[in-house]
Amino acid sequence: MKQAGCLRITPAVLKRRSFLRVGSLSLLGLTLPGYLEAISRASKAGRARDNISKAESCILIWLEGGPSQMDTWDPKPNSNFKPISTKVSGIQISELLPNMSRHMDKVSIIRSMQTEESNHEKAVYYGLTGHRPTPAMNFPGLGAIVSHELGRRNQVPPHLVLPGKRGSRHHESQRGIFLGPENDPMLVGDPNQEDFKIADLSLPKNLTWDHLQDRRSFLNLVDGFYRQKVERAEHAKMDQFEEQALDMIMAPQVRQAFDISQESAKMREAYGRTSFGQSLLLARRLVESGSRFITAAGHDLNGWDTHSDNDNRNIKQTSELDKSLPAFFEDLSQRGLLDSTTVVVMGEFGRSPHHNSKLGRDHWPHCWSLLLGGGGIRGGKIVGSSDERGAYVAEGRVSIGDLFATLYKAMGIDWHKEYMSPIGRPVKIANSIDDETGQPVAELV
Amino acid sequence: MLWTFSGGLVFAQGTSGQQPEQNDSILSLRILPERIMLSRKAASQRFVVLATTADGLERDLTSQSTLSVDQPSIVRVDPSGQVRSLQNGEATLEARMGSLKARASIEVESAGQNRPFSFARDIGTVLTKRGCNSSACHGGVKGKAGFKLSLGTLHPREDYRWIVEGGGYQVMSTEAKGLRKPRIDLQNPEKSLLLQKPTFAIPHGGGEQLPLGSQDYQTVLQWIRAGARYEDETPVKGLGVRGIEILSGEVVLDTGGKQQLLVSARLSNGRSEDITQSARYISSNPEVVSVSSSGAVEAVSPGETSIVVRAPGFVASTRVGVIRGLVSDYPQATATNYIDDHIFSKLRRFHILPSEPTSDEEFVRRVCLDLTGTLPPPHRVREFLADPDPRKREQLVDILLASVEYTDYWTFRLADLFRVGQTPTGMAEHGYIYWHWVRDSVAANKPLDQIARERITAQGYGGASRHFLNNGVVPRPEDAMAEQVRVFLGRRLDCAQCHDHPYESWSQDQFWGLAAFFKRVTRTEWTAFGPSVIYDDPNGPDPDFGAPADSARAIHPRTGQEVAPSLPDGIPVAAHEQTSPRHTFAQWITNHPYFAEAAVNRVWGYLFGRGLVDPVDDFRSSNPPSHPRLLESLAADLKQNGYDLRQLLKRIVTSRTYQLSSTPHPGYEDNLINFAHYVPKPLDAEILLDAVTTVTGVPETFESSDGGMAPSGTRAVQLSMPDIYPSPFLDMYGRPTREQIPERRVEPSLNQALHLLVGSTYSEKLAGQGGRLERLLRPGKADAEVIEELYLAAFSRFPREEELGALVKLIRQGASRQEAFANLTWALLASREFAYNH
Repeated sequence: MKQAGCLRITPAVLKRRSFLRVGSLSLLGLTLPGYLEAISRASKAGRARDNISKAESCILIWLEGGPSQMDTWDPKPNSNFKPISTKVSGIQISELLPNMSRHMDKVSIIRSMQTEESNHEKAVYYGLTGHRPTPAMNFPGLGAIVSHELGRRNQVPPHLVLPGKRGSRHHESQRGIFLGPENDPMLVGDPNQEDFKIADLSLPKNLTWDHLQDRRSFLNLVDGFYRQKVERAEHAKMDQFEEQALDMIMAPQVRQAFDISQESAKMREAYGRTSFGQSLLLARRLVESGSRFITAAGHDLNGWDTHSDNDNRNIKQTSELDKSLPAFFEDLSQRGLLDSTTVVVMGEFGRSPHHNSKLGRDHWPHCWSLLLGGGGIRGGKIVGSSDERGAYVAEGRVSIGDLFATLYKAMGIDWHKEYMSPIGRPVKIANSIDDETGQPVAELV
Repeated sequence: MLWTFSGGLVFAQGTSGQQPEQNDSILSLRILPERIMLSRKAASQRFVVLATTADGLERDLTSQSTLSVDQPSIVRVDPSGQVRSLQNGEATLEARMGSLKARASIEVESAGQNRPFSFARDIGTVLTKRGCNSSACHGGVKGKAGFKLSLGTLHPREDYRWIVEGGGYQVMSTEAKGLRKPRIDLQNPEKSLLLQKPTFAIPHGGGEQLPLGSQDYQTVLQWIRAGARYEDETPVKGLGVRGIEILSGEVVLDTGGKQQLLVSARLSNGRSEDITQSARYISSNPEVVSVSSSGAVEAVSPGETSIVVRAPGFVASTRVGVIRGLVSDYPQATATNYIDDHIFSKLRRFHILPSEPTSDEEFVRRVCLDLTGTLPPPHRVREFLADPDPRKREQLVDILLASVEYTDYWTFRLADLFRVGQTPTGMAEHGYIYWHWVRDSVAANKPLDQIARERITAQGYGGASRHFLNNGVVPRPEDAMAEQVRVFLGRRLDCAQCHDHPYESWSQDQFWGLAAFFKRVTRTEWTAFGPSVIYDDPNGPDPDFGAPADSARAIHPRTGQEVAPSLPDGIPVAAHEQTSPRHTFAQWITNHPYFAEAAVNRVWGYLFGRGLVDPVDDFRSSNPPSHPRLLESLAADLKQNGYDLRQLLKRIVTSRTYQLSSTPHPGYEDNLINFAHYVPKPLDAEILLDAVTTVTGVPETFESSDGGMAPSGTRAVQLSMPDIYPSPFLDMYGRPTREQIPERRVEPSLNQALHLLVGSTYSEKLAGQGGRLERLLRPGKADAEVIEELYLAAFSRFPREEELGALVKLIRQGASRQEAFANLTWALLASREFAYNH
């Protein structure tokens, strides 16, 4: 299979199986930061992108369960909550989100999202790949595509899901598939936990640098004969990964990116001491370090999926959202990260315009809302509109393919691109309804 | 014309006048085809002269031979081997090279009668040959610029309508879009769009594809002049085409070699007609072999690929290989069974040397992994290596096939393929029920066709009925059907759901006719107290929560009509059979010739890492098998043996082919598709984890996502459902979720590298109490003995002398004996020799 990574390791590096890593770097006259920088430059080369300043990363804030559009971003008379004005004249959102109202200049609202799946599993897959799930084949997810197109930066993992639960829908839908495992999302635990730590990134207590070196000596001996007998491309690739792994473990930079305890208590409080809030904070740290695509979830399914008692549950959900999200935008803006980081806030569908017998709202893919802002996106706009009940698109339908195309354009990726799957089926990276290619939303990008 | 006398026959030479080369290394000569009947006016046949040389190759020496006919008034031959009919009668074509001769007999009839016209064949040939209806152009899913043709003239009547009536094609509707402007102009035939575009008289996205004044141009022009009628006179005269074949069969070229392919059409009257000139040729890999528009293949670089040939309504392909170099003294290879006959004869034809047979060490590890997914314990390895019995390998195979580990392993493989899991069936309980059915089937060695029938027709709430709960809801009929076809017939029909398959002849109508067999599958509501029951409801299922109502009724997406169940031959199923349509479908699928070949191909793929068709469930005309006759023999064998999986496995692993070493001959390292050596394959996730557990002797604990735990000592292959037992290790080595039909690929990744270095799996098992290391390091065992045990456990072999010496030294250098051996064990587990089955 073809190799997707952009990393170029020189033959000298490949052959260094028996040297101490750090020691031999200085032999080559390179310091560790210099080495990392060289890798980073090598990974940028060979990527076809126009160089007009475009967003470098994307954070997807994933509101799993499907938030009710008329109780959040698209207030309507059939909501029991009132609309309030925001910083942008002409834009109103639900009274449940007063803090966000001050940041509506940084983001735009799309009120005319239309998708085709109303079952959770299928809708999440659809929302994250642009394709309806089918047993026939698996499609790469948005995060994997972005990671593949933009490449790795600074040794940090390019694609992550946090907090991630293995097998969760928003994890499984974002794999690289034929783009290769290097584009699969790295799963990170709950950053709000006291003992939050990344697996496999730091030496366990009983292992030292010397131990690792001893092990490498044994490995060279043990595998020498077989490697001579059978030299294959995968073995060279594995060598490459082993080099990278050692670098990641020994280099402080990557561990530091994940070390959320380095943030001040004040900052952590501002974001909110919840797994959602701390996920947003960790996402910010990771884009600062160079990650490309991060899905920050933090809500489990029962959060936004208000089949019963919609109103009270929305009050609870939005209070958490309205604390963390404004803090996040404030923080990004102050650090100057907003221009280089595209942000999407969405779920997998919206909710029904009517209340059901349990005072809840049910799944509704026909018309729903999401937020889009940050790098490459014009904020303070409303795109499309729904009818008087928020039930159907009145004008300006936006599909998942259109959303993807918009994100790609903001990040300097050509949204017309098609990959060829291994069985010869072309796969659009921005797949819209009716087998069309999605189009970027003109008002936003 | 020069007359030469040769025996009793008088031959007229072709007009080349070239002196043939005196080549004494030519052993024999033959002409293809050996006999032909030429019918109708201006009938012609291309002949090829093939010479077998002492090196074993068959070369196309048409241009170097002298061609002549004995009856020059009946037929005429030119130096390229093209023979044209003149008048009725019989003639013989002779080819001469030096003292060697070959003959072909020709009969000419109806030489005065015109060929009957057929739009499908005559105009279809132009559209196919010129590439108009290729999948990249107007034959693509949406056509081009509104003009849609069927791929390879599969639907000539529809092509005719689009040409004559005009209008824009829409994928999801039978209605035409926009103005209906005919693409032919009966008043001004030269001004027809159909001619102006491809000749580039007006702008054409496809460029110039049809030279003005060419024969093909004239054919189309004359047809328009004559009124552009849709006619087909051929069936009446018994001249309809039933199929096409490539006469040359498999072609082997040396570097710089060339050969002319011959393609003929089989007619309904039993005769053949040469279509070499009018077929379309595509090389699947132009870097290995190139092919001209008239079917002349030329070697480019060593390798093997296929040439795909298209004629209106049909596709055929043949394999072409370019050999690296001739092997002068090709060794005799002893065959154990028919598998070896096929494999070795192809290797010989392609001048590829098979590797040496495996050593006993290589064999014992390989066959244990391939039949049971486990490593042989050290004492068994010692036993086996020391055993002098010449039949010990076969005995080992029998032992393995009867073991409980065999059942565990093949249950695991089948559960993968059948998608046993919590999410695929909606609930963990469903997954267990489904898994138990799989396990019972494997343990009982249930015939594969019975397994297929049971699953397809499953009803109720037991066993395979759980397959029909996709995430808890009944699958759409098109998804259910396409899955059965892919799993049991090895064909991927899915593309044909929305449009005619872009590369194959599966039509959308056939797809929906098959899908309709599943439109009645329904489930009862599930409750906390009872599972949902699967059954076929004559009224079809109720619209599921949130799902559109018509998705479960097999509605044809283009016509909008509900489709009745029908098999691909188009005959609808009788009403009385419609009460249990899935039984009809199951009978059809298990009796289909594709069933056995798909099954053997899959099993071959498990054992060799690569099927005879690869990917194993992607049989296509453009993806021909590497060994078509072997595939047929294996399929026939399986069928004769009652679809017995164990018999099939035994047949393959006792062959000499399976028992070839994984070391290729120098120069043949790149040859990965002809089984000249056993190509090492990476251990799949569960196998690898179990192997690590076995070597260290520290069991893995599997916690389920609902808080429970698998019983202590459970091996990874014994886990019924991947999605309820999360495992970062298994995920990073490619364990699939089973929400799609798994396509396992173990590829190197950063996560694996990180985990190898510092991961919990290794640190826990290396430090674990009660493991192998702890037992081995008790006082009384010398370092060399411990090393030997570890090698036998991990590699199923003794360490080599050099290895042993160097390792003993390294152990002594370590700070502590314990630590040093832990490091050695880590190295064994981290090595490529461990992680691969070779």
